[in-house]
Amino acid sequence: MKISRRLLLIAGLGLAVTANATTIEMTVNGLVCGFCAQGIEKTLRKDPATEDVVVSLEHRLAAVATKPGTDIADKALESALEASGYDIKAIVRTDRSLPAIRAELQAKP
Amino acid sequence: MKSDFMRIACALALVAVPLAGAEAKPIAYAHGTTVMAEYGAGTMSELQLFYAPSYRYSLGGGHLALDSDLDDDTRDITYLRFNYLPKRWNLESAQANVFVWGSVGRAQVSETGDDDFAWNVGGQLDYETRRVYASLRTDLHESSAFSHRIDTLQLGIAPYEHEYDRLALWFVVQARETTGGLTDDTEFAALLRLFKGNAWVEAGLTQDGKLQAMVMFNF
Repeated sequence: MKISRRLLLIAGLGLAVTANATTIEMTVNGLVCGFCAQGIEKTLRKDPATEDVVVSLEHRLAAVATKPGTDIADKALESALEASGYDIKAIVRTDRSLPAIRAELQAKP
Repeated sequence: MKSDFMRIACALALVAVPLAGAEAKPIAYAHGTTVMAEYGAGTMSELQLFYAPSYRYSLGGGHLALDSDLDDDTRDITYLRFNYLPKRWNLESAQANVFVWGSVGRAQVSETGDDDFAWNVGGQLDYETRRVYASLRTDLHESSAFSHRIDTLQLGIAPYEHEYDRLALWFVVQARETTGGLTDDTEFAALLRLFKGNAWVEAGLTQDGKLQAMVMFNF
């Protein structure tokens, strides 16, 4: 009983974290190889607000999930990608979670 | 011979350019370290290590062994190199780059037994999509005892568009010509290239059945 209550609490906290987190989806030009993706992922993970990163070559996508209550300014994202040698064409903030994006990418590679 | 190589290179480039292209780069990404080793059909072997403080440039060193196909002449060159990316084009589904580099070092020359000062300049133009690539690279190695130019053209095609976390497979054809008595003919090779994550491996055979291989790691 105690254990299941604890599990419910952990699950509840997890949902709250997911609900508060922001996902930033960026369309990136020049994203054509694994090493490009690796460099972008490394750069984005360095930001202290970053919780997780997904990069897709097929969708020219770099997506960042930020830690709850945090955000990364568009200017900072543009600078980070530019410093990595790539150009951002669009930035949108969505409520899609990174696991959902990953699942979508796996479903239609 | 040189004009034959250039004719073939131009013809292949004309075929490749409308399709698009890719190649091993001396700068992988900012704050990345690249280790590369190449075995070139018994004529050249090279080991390189670079660190890139920025995507624009990298610094490092390497060792190049050149063994003449025509006689017993050898050169063992140990060098420090600076690589620079003066121009990159990020297109919607393609990327093109111009790289240049220069190095200084010491060369052991078999004919004289001397340890000479040696220098090198080179450049690379590449263009890649997720399905095709083309690259043209030229390297000039000089010392008081030798002068060698190594020109390499690579064209590749991928049977499928790879995703970041999946294995990438490329079929590559390479044409290489050297000057200064290293080889007497243009060398052609068919290669299979695989990469996934931070590792890149390619291997194949030349028209004489000699091994041509390269491995590269980025971290």
